[in-house]
Amino acid sequence: MAKWGMVFDLKRCIGCNACAVACKQENSLPYGVFFTKTLSEEVGEFPTTTRVYIPTLCNHCEDAPCQRVCPTGATYTRPDGIVMVDGDKCIGCGSCIVACPYDQRTRLEPQMLERGLFGNGKLTPFELHGYARFTPGTAVKCTFCHERVDAGLQPACVATCPTNARIFGDLDDPGSTVRRLIQERRGRQPMPERNTNPRVFYID
Amino acid sequence: MLSNRLQIVDDFRVGFRAQKAWGGSMATAFFFGEAGAGLFFISQFFGFVQGMAVALLMVLIGKGGGHLMHLGRPSRGWRALARIGSSWISRGLFAIAMFAVFGGLHILDVSGKVLPEGLSMLVRAVAVAACLVIMVYQGFAMSHSSSISLWSTGLMPITSLTYSLLAGTMLMLVLGYDSVLAEQPDALRMLKLAAAGLLLYGFVVILAMLHAAKYGSEGGQESVELLLKRDFAKWFVSLVILVGFVLTGLLAAFGPTSYGVMLTMAAAELTGYYAFRVLVFKAATYDPAVSFAAHFRR
Ligand code: SF4
Ligand code: SF4
Repeated sequence: MAKWGMVFDLKRCIGCNACAVACKQENSLPYGVFFTKTLSEEVGEFPTTTRVYIPTLCNHCEDAPCQRVCPTGATYTRPDGIVMVDGDKCIGCGSCIVACPYDQRTRLEPQMLERGLFGNGKLTPFELHGYARFTPGTAVKCTFCHERVDAGLQPACVATCPTNARIFGDLDDPGSTVRRLIQERRGRQPMPERNTNPRVFYID
Repeated sequence: MLSNRLQIVDDFRVGFRAQKAWGGSMATAFFFGEAGAGLFFISQFFGFVQGMAVALLMVLIGKGGGHLMHLGRPSRGWRALARIGSSWISRGLFAIAMFAVFGGLHILDVSGKVLPEGLSMLVRAVAVAACLVIMVYQGFAMSHSSSISLWSTGLMPITSLTYSLLAGTMLMLVLGYDSVLAEQPDALRMLKLAAAGLLLYGFVVILAMLHAAKYGSEGGQESVELLLKRDFAKWFVSLVILVGFVLTGLLAAFGPTSYGVMLTMAAAELTGYYAFRVLVFKAATYDPAVSFAAHFRR
């Protein structure tokens, strides 16, 4: 069984956020909700400053604090390592949201689904179709596009990235590109001090 | 609309993030839960039925109502009983259910001696045990969130216990003044003195909590600055510190044992305590999501 993970190549990322747009489209995300974002940060001191772009999403942590605190078992990990939320079990308590060190969860408030992308309370056919997958009042987050992965496809953000800064693959396969990149370019996990063992790695 | 857009642009920068999942309704639930459980705990030593009844209502209506208002899917709330072994929210809900049943039975028993002695003791023991869990579990639930340094400290459950005992003592001094404490003036003085001691202890615990957060992480430092120097300083310093501890402490230590003083003291303490509950949620800050960005200089 594969253990899915992702590598972000910071040398390649140009901060275009095409990944964020593709994700919103793929997952029919309402206004203000993002499952992935590419953040920017200015580093250094004048005159030697630069800006780095840092893609972020749910890290599908091996020891996921969000799962540990969930009182209903709605948050669970699939055998392939993808951390999921069962919308039928979630009570919307928000424990997982405060427990995630990476701020990668959102509670889907009913008004988010009523506002409409244009803010006039009217839903487009795209929204009417897409919002049916959500249970208002429950926690949502990135699922590595599990339906696409199950169908043998790449997550939408990976397929869209114009510079191949996002690389998706099997962390358990010694021959996979993700494993090679992590080993050769000393991949780092975000916030390793939190002992969550993320399945997302950054290389530069 | 513009400010909403700017907020979203800002969300695309590396930086601190404010915790927004737990807000006013959770703070209210925590407040009523701890204050009510504290009142029950103190009242049962005196067999003070009115105090226990008010406490039970505070927990069931105040805490229960606050939680129901907070939940995204309140009709499924019962599901939280599913994983008592692993989550403090589940353990807390279980304790509330036990408290409702056994606390209610104990009140009936004290008022009408309806149970045989052995069973009566058992009911009281379970009610007190459940009450003790309600007094501390919220602190454990918060300290479990390692992502927020302000909360992620072993001092959080101690803060809960101290505030719970304090609020219980204050409410007991007011509610029992004309009844059970009027018959026991020594108990009144003893409770007032205990309140002074608890206030001193609670003040040190809050300072230690802020100290732990400040030196715990950048996010913790940001939280402490928000509470003591920036956005929330005027509320935290004036309500939590000055009203909740200094004014209440002075009244407890040096004030006369009149009803007016007890009432003022309780109002001041509960105001400071409620402000504390709201502000520790508002000032909770996540560390920058990707804290090692600076390593990637080109
Ligand atoms: S990144 Fe956050 S939401 Fe995702 S698995 Fe880790 S703790 Fe859970
Ligand atoms: S919000 Fe839902 S998924 Fe998150 S901890 Fe609560 S019940 Fe679990």
